Amino acid sequence: MKLTVPYLGHIDIFLNAMARKIGPEFVFPPKTSSRTLLLGTKYSPESACLPFKFILGNFIEALEKGADTIAMITDHGPCRVGMYDVVMQQILKDLGFQFDWIAMDDTRILGDYLLRFNRERKKRGVSLWESLQAIRFSWKKVKLSESVERMAQKARPLEVKRGETTRVLTDSLRWIDEASNFRELSQTHQQCLEKFNRIEKDDTQNPPKVLITGEGYMVINPHANQDIERRLGEMGVEVARTVWFTTQITHALHLDLFNPKSKRKAIKASEPYLKHNLGGECNASIGYPILFKKEGYEGVIQLLPFGCMLEAVAKNILVKVSREYDLPILTFSLSENLSETMIDTRLGAFVDLLQQRRGRKRNR
Amino acid sequence: MSLRIGIPRALLYYRYFPFWKTFFETLGFEVVVSRPSHWGIIERGFKFADDDTCIPMKMAFAHTIDIKDRIDLLFLPRLLSVDGKTCSCPRLAGLPEMLKYSMSGLPAILDPYVDERHRNSSLFHSFSEMALALGKSPKEIKQAFQKAESAYELIQKRMEGGEKLPDLFEDVGKKNQTSQRDLSRKKIAVVGHAYCLYDPFFNFDLLRILEEAHASVYTQERVPKEVIDSEIREFGKDIYWDSGREILGASLHFLRSSEMEGLIYLTCFSCGVDSMIEPLVRHRAAENGKTLYLCLMIDEHTGATGVLTRMEAFIDLLERRRRRR
Ligand code: SF4
Repeated sequence: MKLTVPYLGHIDIFLNAMARKIGPEFVFPPKTSSRTLLLGTKYSPESACLPFKFILGNFIEALEKGADTIAMITDHGPCRVGMYDVVMQQILKDLGFQFDWIAMDDTRILGDYLLRFNRERKKRGVSLWESLQAIRFSWKKVKLSESVERMAQKARPLEVKRGETTRVLTDSLRWIDEASNFRELSQTHQQCLEKFNRIEKDDTQNPPKVLITGEGYMVINPHANQDIERRLGEMGVEVARTVWFTTQITHALHLDLFNPKSKRKAIKASEPYLKHNLGGECNASIGYPILFKKEGYEGVIQLLPFGCMLEAVAKNILVKVSREYDLPILTFSLSENLSETMIDTRLGAFVDLLQQRRGRKRNR
Repeated sequence: MSLRIGIPRALLYYRYFPFWKTFFETLGFEVVVSRPSHWGIIERGFKFADDDTCIPMKMAFAHTIDIKDRIDLLFLPRLLSVDGKTCSCPRLAGLPEMLKYSMSGLPAILDPYVDERHRNSSLFHSFSEMALALGKSPKEIKQAFQKAESAYELIQKRMEGGEKLPDLFEDVGKKNQTSQRDLSRKKIAVVGHAYCLYDPFFNFDLLRILEEAHASVYTQERVPKEVIDSEIREFGKDIYWDSGREILGASLHFLRSSEMEGLIYLTCFSCGVDSMIEPLVRHRAAENGKTLYLCLMIDEHTGATGVLTRMEAFIDLLERRRRRR
């Protein structure tokens, strides 16, 4: 079995680590490129949402690389992600690919997953202890990957040499991916910290803080959102984001009770504006800006991929949140034909707005 | 004077109006419906609604603007799930908020919330709560609800029998005049969301065009619920959207029947539900090969002539096929 899955942040680092310890073999699609999107757009229904097109493109490229099994989360609405499985299978089969499809039902995540995992484990003759260790190790790797990403979000607006942070981040992620045991991983951790410390920074700056919220696939995957975080960082902005691999997993497993900024808390915060949970990231997209405003964030960018129904609802409600919390919110509609200049112009205008607001406050 | 309750002529109006009207009128309220769509009304709504939404939602904005100054209460129920299994499109569920936050001067909104997937939520429960708050007694409410249910069922029956919306709504008692027993008529099935099918402004009077071309038009309401259920079971994927499930089930049924010569899927640009269901229908239609299939997508640039030409071409093709047989 050569398994592939859709990108979800550093899921590749997680699964690579698992694969090396206990299997099964993973085939990752190349990082999303213009070819990915071209393929996705060509074979997707015209009105499909942008994440559909990306993921279909990812799958095509993974199948080309030799994957023979696709695993993907499914749910029961109202977002259309629960329909991806039938529609994508039909498209991929029509293209002549042969593969198995594993639909992982999010409501039966524990039962379904664990049973399947256990079966696979036995087949490969891996002991339970080894498996648990492998999960722990892989989880630790993702945690570390996410924390270096956070370091990069903080360092980037202060860096003196453009691009240095991004280089350090890329190196760090590679080292983390390569570490093969706990000892190596803690060495890597030290190494990353040092590298980040050594980035030359201009500490006199007080960068504006911006939160990126919105549809999950777009927020979590920099290669899908045209590197909006890096662009903002290089414009002198400190960025935070709402969706991470670990937060999605802990939320699904109900393990995030004590996290002050969990998805659950964000959903709760959205209640005065949207009484009922509509599903997807909709309510969290509305609630997170409120949580982050309280921590001094000065602006919010909502990523709304073309066709996303839930984020379109959130967009209208965020207008109200923006007004009541005096918090500038930019809804960024992403589509297939968004040029880099267009992105930079819009982000630039937003950053200018934030700076002006600071100026005004100071003068008062 | 009795309270005036406003219902925008959009979205779920095209399905549940008989229910709502009977319910409110039995309780002694006055029901006000926005005027039938025409450009003057729609244009204003389009300016208000944002670009990331679908045309039917924008039309709901427009119809709300049309009545908001003539009513005391605006009725926008949130029917997330009325059968305990399927759910509505998320846009519909978020409509009250979307309206509230993007325009001012709205009257108070009645938005009973129904999600029968949860144990303690039911249509009856939410409607009674709403009516209790409006000062009605439990007994009155129960009677009105039962009456509303039978009005709704009657309409469903009549639609199964071939009568069509929205003529049916205007006067619940009126008898259908056109009999379509003419055997030479072409049988064409048309599927899509009720508000796409039955708003002649939206679809440039598609159903009339077809009937004038001597076609008998079959819509998804002709297909009994049990048939839809069994089609979906056989299809093998439990479709969770109420509308999508119905459209797919009915389409599969129409494609199976040897009598149906054509199938038209009427959709609008950027409908999330259709974007996943239409490819499935298209695929089946191609596999089956005997029914002529057309997906008619309406967007903001679609014009009446465009629709007319495509329909003429479609009917021509049907006729040529007939002659060949
Ligand atoms: S089902 Fe489609 S047309 Fe209807 S509200 Fe939802 S997106 Fe719009």
